[in-house]
Amino acid sequence: MQLAVNIVVLTAIYALIACGYVLIYRVSRVLNLAHGELLMLSAYLLLWTASLFAGHAIAAIAAALGLSLVVGAMVYLFLLRKLTGEMALAAVLTTVALGVLLRGVTVLLWSAQQQYPAVPLGLSNWAIALPGGARISLWAGLLVVTTLAVYASLFAFLRLGRWGMRMRAAGQNPLLAAQRGINLHAIYALAWSLSTLTGALAGVLIALDSGLGQTMAIIGLKAFPAALVGGLDSLAGALLGSAIVASAEVILIHHVDPLLSEVIPFLVLIVVLMLRPWGLLGTREELDRV
Amino acid sequence: MLLRLQGAAMAAVLLAAPAAAQDAYTIGLTGALTGPPASTYAPAADALRLYVERLNAAGGIAGKKINLILQDDAAEPGKATANAKKLLAQDNVLLLLNASLSSTFAPVVAEAKRAGVPVLFASSVCPKEVYPPADPLQFCSTAFASTYDSRATLAFIKETAKEPVKIGFSAMAIPLSRAEMDFAEQQAPGLGMTVVGKEVIPPPTPDYTPFATKLKDAGANWVFSWAPWVTQVRTLEALRRLDWKGDYVAWAHIEAEGELARLKDGAFYVVGANALFQDRLPIHQEIAEAAKTAKLTYPIEQLTEGWIAGMVVEAALKATGWPASPEKLAAAMSTLKVDTKGLRGGPIEWTKDNHFRTRQYYRVYRWDSGKGAIQRVKDWTAFDVQ
Repeated sequence: MQLAVNIVVLTAIYALIACGYVLIYRVSRVLNLAHGELLMLSAYLLLWTASLFAGHAIAAIAAALGLSLVVGAMVYLFLLRKLTGEMALAAVLTTVALGVLLRGVTVLLWSAQQQYPAVPLGLSNWAIALPGGARISLWAGLLVVTTLAVYASLFAFLRLGRWGMRMRAAGQNPLLAAQRGINLHAIYALAWSLSTLTGALAGVLIALDSGLGQTMAIIGLKAFPAALVGGLDSLAGALLGSAIVASAEVILIHHVDPLLSEVIPFLVLIVVLMLRPWGLLGTREELDRV
Repeated sequence: MLLRLQGAAMAAVLLAAPAAAQDAYTIGLTGALTGPPASTYAPAADALRLYVERLNAAGGIAGKKINLILQDDAAEPGKATANAKKLLAQDNVLLLLNASLSSTFAPVVAEAKRAGVPVLFASSVCPKEVYPPADPLQFCSTAFASTYDSRATLAFIKETAKEPVKIGFSAMAIPLSRAEMDFAEQQAPGLGMTVVGKEVIPPPTPDYTPFATKLKDAGANWVFSWAPWVTQVRTLEALRRLDWKGDYVAWAHIEAEGELARLKDGAFYVVGANALFQDRLPIHQEIAEAAKTAKLTYPIEQLTEGWIAGMVVEAALKATGWPASPEKLAAAMSTLKVDTKGLRGGPIEWTKDNHFRTRQYYRVYRWDSGKGAIQRVKDWTAFDVQ
């Protein structure tokens, strides 16, 4: 039973991070390689808001998430807006540079030491007993619930919401969407905001669960194979890819060798890419255009 | 503070004119001031800078100031190489210090050897070349020592355990940590312990629970971890969330004192070679006051390693005298004895063949829930370094 819980938690972590990659790629065809750093920045923002709202955990978390929404929009408006219509590679390289910048900025502002935002917020992380003798930490449990809520909201938003439909339209054919009066810059800014918000949710919950340090940026990258396995333009694919990668990882850690956890996401990725280069639920046409 | 640290480093680089260098002891450090492992090294570099600033404010050594140049290598070998080249060729440093990952050692040492300049590993792990028979140009003041740390820890477990020990190990998937846990795994059966598992955990890992689950399911009643702090403490926290009731021993990295107070776990022991601030030595008071005056960002308990490096540098330069040269400095360091004023269990003593230290001392601490404070469980125990 504990094995199943471990798989669910890791799936939730990867899925919550992976949907950020998918949101931006699906709408603008840009691979955001600074997603891990943006996730880390959001967790550091929680550290800042925790000092501002000491003892008011909900306010601090809400403020950090709100700030991450703004950060996402600003990244697009000040950095990537001018690259709209240019080669996707230029935008991808810009995100790489942004990642390097954010890593440096976080060290300068918050130092390199391990931080625990839960401490100033006075939050505990007790374990919850589950049937079958399994246990899950409070924040890991919340992360699972949050992931489910985020995916349900995103599916509803993209299927039913007016702005969601505009995002899909912009992703499918930006020229036609623009001709139909859709403000592409607003759509792209929204995609960046939502992507950063989902990353922020992951970053904040991981930081509350187990602390915060410079390695968090790399955790963001670990979810990238899950997004690729599922198909970079498919939210359902991100969920499926995360489940496959996490299952393989946890099972091999438990039954074979813990060291395999480092390579197994990429082994799964290679196998999937050999069989379906556009990912399990990705769109072939979309990938061909890239 | 890091801004100031890097600003000071930049200013030092810009102002280190050759004329000035001739009137000062110029030493340089390449270290992971940024990058993922910076939490281990940046506080040490900060403390060393503070120590040197205080020394200079007090008149320097033999009337000469110390010109400390700090260079960030972000734990990347390429940057460390460039730093070493610059410090050696451009700044003509007398001594090169390394405060970074072991992956930066080879290029830094190669450059230093070409220039005939001694290298001091300060807060970075001691390479095997400093142990007998030592390389003439490599020295180390860092607390932790491979194989000796495991011997001390296993000896502590043996004398503390009240029932047969079923031990599990937790390492980070980096060569040094794995090798140490392999060594401990080999030693444990000879001490009557049953080895039930060893988890080698890749850095970084979003969730440590799968690894902790294995250790718990294996039936470990003791777990020993010798790895970067993040791996040590997150494995413990994951085990506790799984309702594991066993005893956990880890190496007392610079984060240990703050973390013992955060976790308040009476069955979590840290074995280390530095006295914690809870020992309230006069030298601790001195460090605390200096840090307060300088408004350092890092907690004072993380400054010990860098402070000790400062003591070693001071002693080495005093023994070298003026005018100084790398050859004279290396010769002086080869017979150096540094009084750490209680920060270690004994002096750091180097000989021609031993540039680690002739004796390594260990203390063990844990959280005392009854007193609500850190408790010294075992006082200094000495191990001769052969």
